[in-house]
Amino acid sequence: MEQKEEQLSTRHLLGIKGLKKSDLELILRTAENFKEIINRPIKKVPSLRDVTVANMFFENSTRTRLSFELAEKRLSADIVNFSASGSSVSKGETLIDTANNILAMKVDIIVMRHSAPGAAVFLAGQLKNYPKSAHAQIINAGDGTHEHPTQALLDAFSIREKLGSLEGKKVVIVGDIMHSRVALSNIFSLQMLGAEVMVCGPTTLIPKYVSSLGLKVEHNLRKALEWCDVANMLRIQLERQSLKYFPTLREYSMQYGLDKKLLDSLSKKIVVMHPGPINRGVEITSDVADSEHSIILDQVENGVAVRMAILYLLAGKS
Amino acid sequence: MKYIIKQATIVDHLSSHDGKKKDILINNGTIEKIADKITDKADQEIAIPGLHVSPGWIDMQANFRDPGHEYKENLASGIAAAAKGGFTGVCLQSSTDPALDNKSQVEYLKKTSAHLSVHIYPIGAITHAREGKEMAELFDMNQAGAVAFSDDKRFVENPKLMELALNYTKNFDGLIIHFADTPALSSKGMMHEGETSVFLGMKGIPSMAEEQGLSRDLYLVEYTGGRIHYNLLSTAGAVGLIKEAKKKKLLVTAGVAAHQLYFTDEVLKGFESVHKVNPPYRSQKDADALAAGLKDKIIDVICSDHSPEDVENKNLEFDYARNGIINIQTAFPVANTVLRKKISLSELIQKFSGNPRGILGLPTATIEEGMTAEMTFFDPESTFIFTKEENVSNSANSPFFGVELTGKVHGIFCKGNAVIN
Repeated sequence: MEQKEEQLSTRHLLGIKGLKKSDLELILRTAENFKEIINRPIKKVPSLRDVTVANMFFENSTRTRLSFELAEKRLSADIVNFSASGSSVSKGETLIDTANNILAMKVDIIVMRHSAPGAAVFLAGQLKNYPKSAHAQIINAGDGTHEHPTQALLDAFSIREKLGSLEGKKVVIVGDIMHSRVALSNIFSLQMLGAEVMVCGPTTLIPKYVSSLGLKVEHNLRKALEWCDVANMLRIQLERQSLKYFPTLREYSMQYGLDKKLLDSLSKKIVVMHPGPINRGVEITSDVADSEHSIILDQVENGVAVRMAILYLLAGKS
Repeated sequence: MKYIIKQATIVDHLSSHDGKKKDILINNGTIEKIADKITDKADQEIAIPGLHVSPGWIDMQANFRDPGHEYKENLASGIAAAAKGGFTGVCLQSSTDPALDNKSQVEYLKKTSAHLSVHIYPIGAITHAREGKEMAELFDMNQAGAVAFSDDKRFVENPKLMELALNYTKNFDGLIIHFADTPALSSKGMMHEGETSVFLGMKGIPSMAEEQGLSRDLYLVEYTGGRIHYNLLSTAGAVGLIKEAKKKKLLVTAGVAAHQLYFTDEVLKGFESVHKVNPPYRSQKDADALAAGLKDKIIDVICSDHSPEDVENKNLEFDYARNGIINIQTAFPVANTVLRKKISLSELIQKFSGNPRGILGLPTATIEEGMTAEMTFFDPESTFIFTKEENVSNSANSPFFGVELTGKVHGIFCKGNAVIN
């Protein structure tokens, strides 16, 4: 590809935090090319031939894992999959041991999802100490409540595709901000690309110190929607809440659910996003999810292109 | 055995030689002579440039993991580290395995450490197995040599039980050492709740958890007239609560772990588990309030909170790593590095020696002729870099390897012998 000489500033993708604006732009530009490629009759390119990728999923995932696998396959990488529910000393093998074992079999890139915040940062820091593993590159596919950088990049790509640019655009992230890695990565990437960010949700799901991230906070969904160009409706993740942060889903959707009536009553047309999987009728109703406002399926499609771009660019750094 | 300590600056506010540079002659463990120049023949001469000497330091909060996890630390290795850190006495917390909750456990520690170079002061558990359900045999442990009672870092949640413990220990002037916490607010928290925890997406431990637990206790202390001490204050609000309690003349004293003065939550930005401690590193404002609290005599004691952990329990994803650092060798240099320009050397030394001795009811160890020699040798001005080679603990979970610190410990004199680093 023509930008071959352009390189990322990092060997790993651990979070949006560790990236520069030029990295984000390079990834998005590269993803445009890959989006064009995956819409051709022959979707596969040989860019990652002889590169082996291990997908290590210590936490359940359907779409992120599928999206990564497809991205890897379309780049002609060799793939191994590893999944375990939960990883800790109590389960036997440590994360470092698991990674070292996989890497000893000549794996080049690890795509990792893990329940512990910072797990990818930790792993990347540790592997440097092992000669047989030092070559490995890590892609964070979600680490607990910390970051989910590829989701943020595909979200940024999708907004840019729809609105042309992120500069000056207003994006509201609605829902469980406290327990959401998608929210945190989105906040960092959107701000870096020049968008204004607001978070909206029940007071119990907005961290007390969130405004230190330089964003607006709003608790009224209608006001938030009137303000924004784009609304990213997060999935309510009851599995991450040890105690219920609101009484019932019904009551949540009464206040923060987006339905067609609300959408149509706004003074302007906004773009509706959702990282999936949707709880239909909770965060958004079916008629919104399937409406012309929604770019939810574009996000999914773009996910593959963005992940191809990331894999391609990182492999070029090895 | 005769020792002569040459030209040492004496730092002891109770001594008539305070602030003076003297030679000290120790014969058979007793200070025989203090003079400008002593020319007697001695078996060992201790002459170190810049040498300072103070009454021996006492660490009020340490874990030596013995019995239970001797591979992390045992009495011998812990005591060796304590001597290197300048401590002539160490209070060992109850969180051994099994818990230190009965007379025979207290006796085990006393007996096993009897021939070692540092005094061991066991802290018995307040409740059976530190479970917070029923009082342990506090009187019996007190008679066997327990200097205080604590469930280590477990907060006694039942207020009635805490009231009873505070009341019961009054019978024999016992001391309760408590860890201020509100488990329902702090549980699953990984770090201080604040801007950094939001930035890292980590669950926070609000300052309120410590302050709410402390407030509750203070009502019980006022009600019972019992005596309580906190080794591990971490928040500005807690310093304020202790200040109020002291104003009311409640029998409350407080301490802080040396590293709590040195680090803030910002150090966690790399997710390095060596910085996972309990209480967590808090904001700069909190660290400043702790230093000010020491200066204003609201905080009486600086401790090490020595918590050895092996690689298998520490070198993990942040969520899974255990809390704690080894710090008994570095507690003084770390505190001295932060505080030397904020409080006088005499005040600083009282936080390590006079105050813990007063709170625990131990002998003062004053540096005067005729007194039993129990002292610490150090130099508050010299700088050094702490290295793995110098570490004598069985564990290596220190954040201070490779860090330059000011204030070098040269050793101790305790139980009739000098241990020089």
